Amino acid sequence: MRRLFPRPGAQVSSVSVDAEGITARSRREVVLDVSFDGRRIHSFWLHRDGRRTSVPHTWLVPWPQSLQRFLSGTTRLSLTVHETQQVVFEEEVTFRDGTDRIAVVNAAGQPLSLDKSLRLVQTFDTRSEQHVRPLLDAIDHVLTGLDRAGIQAFLAYGTLLGAVRDGGLIGHDSDADLGYVSKHEHPVDAIRESFHVQRALVEMGYRITRYSALAFKVDVVESDGVVRGLDVFGGFMRDGYLHLMGEIRTPFKREWVTPLGTASLEGRAFPVPADTDRFLAATYGKSWRVPDPAFHFATPRSTHRRFDGWFRGIRVRRPLWDRVYARRPGPAAEPSELARWAASREDPATPVVDLGCGTGTDVLWFARQGTPATGLDFVRKGFERAEAEATAEGVDARFLVCNLLELRSVLGTGALLAADRGPRVVLARHLADGVSRRARLNAWRLARMVLHDGGRLYVEFLVQRGDGDLAKRQKAQVRTSRMIARELRSLGATIVERDVVRLPSGDRTGRSPAKICRMVATWE
Amino acid sequence: MGMKSIVGRLKAPATNDLRKRVAALEAEVQECRQLNLRLAELTDIVTDLLVPLSRGDEAALRETLVKYQESL
Repeated sequence: MRRLFPRPGAQVSSVSVDAEGITARSRREVVLDVSFDGRRIHSFWLHRDGRRTSVPHTWLVPWPQSLQRFLSGTTRLSLTVHETQQVVFEEEVTFRDGTDRIAVVNAAGQPLSLDKSLRLVQTFDTRSEQHVRPLLDAIDHVLTGLDRAGIQAFLAYGTLLGAVRDGGLIGHDSDADLGYVSKHEHPVDAIRESFHVQRALVEMGYRITRYSALAFKVDVVESDGVVRGLDVFGGFMRDGYLHLMGEIRTPFKREWVTPLGTASLEGRAFPVPADTDRFLAATYGKSWRVPDPAFHFATPRSTHRRFDGWFRGIRVRRPLWDRVYARRPGPAAEPSELARWAASREDPATPVVDLGCGTGTDVLWFARQGTPATGLDFVRKGFERAEAEATAEGVDARFLVCNLLELRSVLGTGALLAADRGPRVVLARHLADGVSRRARLNAWRLARMVLHDGGRLYVEFLVQRGDGDLAKRQKAQVRTSRMIARELRSLGATIVERDVVRLPSGDRTGRSPAKICRMVATWE
Repeated sequence: MGMKSIVGRLKAPATNDLRKRVAALEAEVQECRQLNLRLAELTDIVTDLLVPLSRGDEAALRETLVKYQESL
């Protein structure tokens, strides 16, 4: 299907606003900005983001989910054609009979608006020069680190667009992006280079979160303590095509990228690709000069498939757990039943390793009793508070970030833990029912490495959903005990115990019981 | 029944078969692509973990392991 892009000359009429959304009539596709009391909150494409109503050429764009909770009260709502700044609607509007003015702000009272992915963020149009300076410093800081690691990075995506088009950050943007094009031409080499760059940056003291095998985020701590993440998108040339994560694949020449040029961003010079016109056309299409705050990338499926196959798959279900731990929950006061059960059967001197330790509750509990304990999880925020408590109390608890979807992480962590001799107790509580088969097999590989000198693996997972409450709380998917046993045996384990336990009624809300399986395995 | 729909019916199984084969081929291509990351990871383990490990003493070994784990 041919995609109809916004074109000049759209006539917008019959605008109405209610609790459901904004309705407007326009034969042509048009980008509209929504402002509350004079401040831009949201932008959309009328046809792409709306649904047809029964009236000809009239579309209803529902309020985005993320904005719903703010829609109570009164505001002067205006609707403007983005390109021409023509106001097509302006009225006092009241939602849900609220009497106060609507304030779309965060807990600290700072103004928020929706970015193109409909996330509520502090966009640049609401920030002053003194807010923007730390971002420019952060860009400088990360570029310096990358340069020292042998990578010539440049401004990319929205940051490049803002610099080239307006010499500044784009008002409706909220972060800065960097990119680079590897000197290598094979995905394997580009990935290995990305690993080396990460290692060099970590050595220099940067904190990195990897998104894929070719893209990562560099955290920059600003003077007020706020942590800002800059995305670094890796790329490479292959068969006459530029491949850049994020996501571009287009016929291109290396000389259009390097040697890099410079462009001014908020009065400071930053590196940019040699031919910014061609680069921006590859990113945003030939109409890149026309501002569009609601722009969505229209990437061919084949490009997604290539990038997914080559570089992705190491963050499956990560957003879910990032959300769970976003508020940095503290460890619970009581340990899990599995921890108590294992402790009642094992020598307290045997160190414990908890795979998927979450908030670190069990790790802390073991350490407080004098059992050395290590917690592994792929979300650092989950165990940060337990880690701080353990440090303050001086107990023998250690926490490591380990991603079961990265073979390097599994083997590297396994080797580190196996360097200490002697038997261990390994716990995997609600891990088997929370991760994919690939991650599970890696978990069992890790357990095998850690149990090199003996000891036991205690696994607990959901085998019957019951009323669903436990499954919901644990984000668990039902597994059969046969499936898990088969996986463990395939890696040389012996199942020495297997019990299906009906959860006591106090642990559930409905009538139908949830059941869990507890399994003990060894590699003798 | 018109000629066109008869032809369409006769063609349908072939089209379906082709769809299935394309889907299977796409999955197989994806499997091959996924080997790139595997290979890069294994090479990284050998060059940046095993090689340094084989060259150091006990203390260096531990330091190498810690550094490698932290660099992921």
